[in-house]
Amino acid sequence: MKKKHSLFYHIVIFVLAQLAWLALLGLWIYWYVYNNIVFEKVGDQVSPQVSYDITNVVPFVVGLVLLSGLSFTTSLIFRHLSIQLRLAKLYDNFISNVTHELKSPLSSIQLYLETLTERNVPPDKQKEFIGLMTTDVNRLNNLINSILEISALEQKKLSHDYQVQDAESTIKNLLMDSVGQFRLPDDAINISGSAPCEIVTDAKTMKIVLDNLVDNAIKYSLESVKIDVKLSCNLKKFIIEFSDNGIGIPPGEFKKVFNKFHRIQNNNVPNVKGTGLGLYWTKEIIRNHGGKISVLSEGEDKGTKFTIELPVYGASKKRFVNKLLKRK
Amino acid sequence: MDNISSKESKILLVEDEKSLAVGLKFNLVEEGYLVEWAKDGREAVNLFESENFDMIILDIMLPYINGFEIAEIVRKANPQMPILMLTAKTSKGDMVKGLELGADDYITKPFHLKELLLRVKGMLKRKVWYKEVTLNQPKFSFGNNEINFESLNCKNSKEEFKLTPQEAMVLKYLIDNKGKIVSRKELLENVWHMNPDIETRTVDNFIVRLRKYFETDPSKPVYFKSVRGAGYVFEDQQH
Repeated sequence: MKKKHSLFYHIVIFVLAQLAWLALLGLWIYWYVYNNIVFEKVGDQVSPQVSYDITNVVPFVVGLVLLSGLSFTTSLIFRHLSIQLRLAKLYDNFISNVTHELKSPLSSIQLYLETLTERNVPPDKQKEFIGLMTTDVNRLNNLINSILEISALEQKKLSHDYQVQDAESTIKNLLMDSVGQFRLPDDAINISGSAPCEIVTDAKTMKIVLDNLVDNAIKYSLESVKIDVKLSCNLKKFIIEFSDNGIGIPPGEFKKVFNKFHRIQNNNVPNVKGTGLGLYWTKEIIRNHGGKISVLSEGEDKGTKFTIELPVYGASKKRFVNKLLKRK
Repeated sequence: MDNISSKESKILLVEDEKSLAVGLKFNLVEEGYLVEWAKDGREAVNLFESENFDMIILDIMLPYINGFEIAEIVRKANPQMPILMLTAKTSKGDMVKGLELGADDYITKPFHLKELLLRVKGMLKRKVWYKEVTLNQPKFSFGNNEINFESLNCKNSKEEFKLTPQEAMVLKYLIDNKGKIVSRKELLENVWHMNPDIETRTVDNFIVRLRKYFETDPSKPVYFKSVRGAGYVFEDQQH
C-alpha cells in the first residue's frame, strides 16, 4: 500500500514538475514577445539611438535551451526512479519468496528433530522422517548454492570447464541424470531427433539449465509431467526444443519470465514454490555459451516450449571459442 | 461437530509442504486429534464445505486459493471456527491482514512443536469456553448496541456488522468483568490463552476496534475506558 502511494506521489511530482516547466516556458516566451513588441513600438520614439539588435535573441534562446535541459533531466530522473522502484518491488518479492523457501524446510527439519527427541517414534516412521529431513536439507543446499552461484555468475567469478563435446550425447546424458535426480518415471522425458554436431559447453552449468527446465515442467504440470525434447542442428546452430504438458505461459510473459526475480502472478499455478531466479540463471548460462533461449506457449493448459540455440563448434567465432576454452 | 472436549477434535490442516504436513499430522494425531490434510487451497475449501471441523491450521502461501482468501470463506460460513495461521511470512502487514480477516492466532515458521501444540490446545479450549459462557446469555445490549454472541451479528446506531471470533471473545471477557479493571496481561492470558509472542499492542488494537464499532465517539470512549498503566474497564451505566 505504502509502495503504491510512493509511486503515485512520484508520478504526481513529475507531472507537477512538467506543468511548472511548461508554465515557465510559456511565461518566458510571452515575456520575450511582449517586450519585443513594446520595444518595437516605442523604442524609436524613446531612444532613436538604440538599434534593435539580433543579440537580444541570444538570452531568449539560451533560456529556452536551459528550460528544455531542465525538462530533460527531470524526465531522466523520473525514468531512473521508476526503474529503481520496479527493482525494489522485485527485490521485495524475491526476499519474500526466499524467506518462504528457506523457512519451510527449516521448520520441517526442526519439527522432526523435536518430534524424534520428545516422542517415541516407531522405527518405520523414524525412517520416513529422516528421509523427509534429507530432502529438506538438499532443498536448502540447492537454494543456497543457486543464490551464491548466480551472484558468482554475475560477477564472472564462477569457474567454468568448457569443452568441445558431442551435442547429442551430452544433452541426452544430462537429461537422463535429471530423470534420476527428480525421480521421474523412465518415460517422462522423450528425446527425439538427431544432432550430429559438436558444441563448446560446460556440462556442469548446462546441467543447471536442463534441471531448471525439468523442475519448472514438474512444478507447473497439473498431471504427471511429460517432456518432449527434440534435438537438431544445422550448419551454424544446435537447437534444443524442450516442450512440456504444463499449464503454459501467457503471451505477455514470454520475455518477462527470464527477468531476474520475476514470477508469474497466477492463481491457477499448482505450485507456489520458487524464487524467480531459475529462468534468469538459465538465460545467463546460455548467453555465456554464446547462445540464446526463447519461450512459446499456445495458451493456458497447452504446455510450454523452450527453444535453446547454441553455436556449433566449427561455425563459432574463433576468438569466442578460444576464450571459452581458455586457449591463448 | 462441536465437541465440548477438545480432545478428539477434528482439525483441518492446510499446508502445501508435504514434509511439514506429514510431521504436523503425526504430532496432532499423537495428541489425540483427528486430522484431515489439504494440500492446496481448493482442496481445503472442498474439505471445509463437505466435512465438519473444530479448528483449522492454515498456511498462507498456497496454490490456487491463498490462506487469506480461505480465512474469508471460512469466516463467512462459520464465524466461530478457530483459525491458526501458520506461515513463513513475518511482516507485520501480513500478521495484521491475517488477524483482520479473522484468524485467531498466528505462528511463524520455524516454530517449536510444544508451542504449536499448546496454541492448538488453547484455541480449542477457548472455543469450548466461549460456547459455554455464551450458552446462557447469547445476546447482550448496551446503549444503542446489540450483540449476538452466537451468530456474532451486531448492531450499533448506524449499521449492522459482524464481529470476528477474537473480537467477540475480548468483548465477552470485558462484559463478564463489567466495572472491573482488566489488565492487558489478563486479557492475553485468558482470552488468547497461550500466546507469549503477541505483543500487548495487539490487545490495544482490539480495543480500538471495539471502540470503533460501539462508541459514538471513539476518541471519547464511554463504554471501553482506558485506565492508565492498569488496562481497560467496560462500563455500562444502564445495567
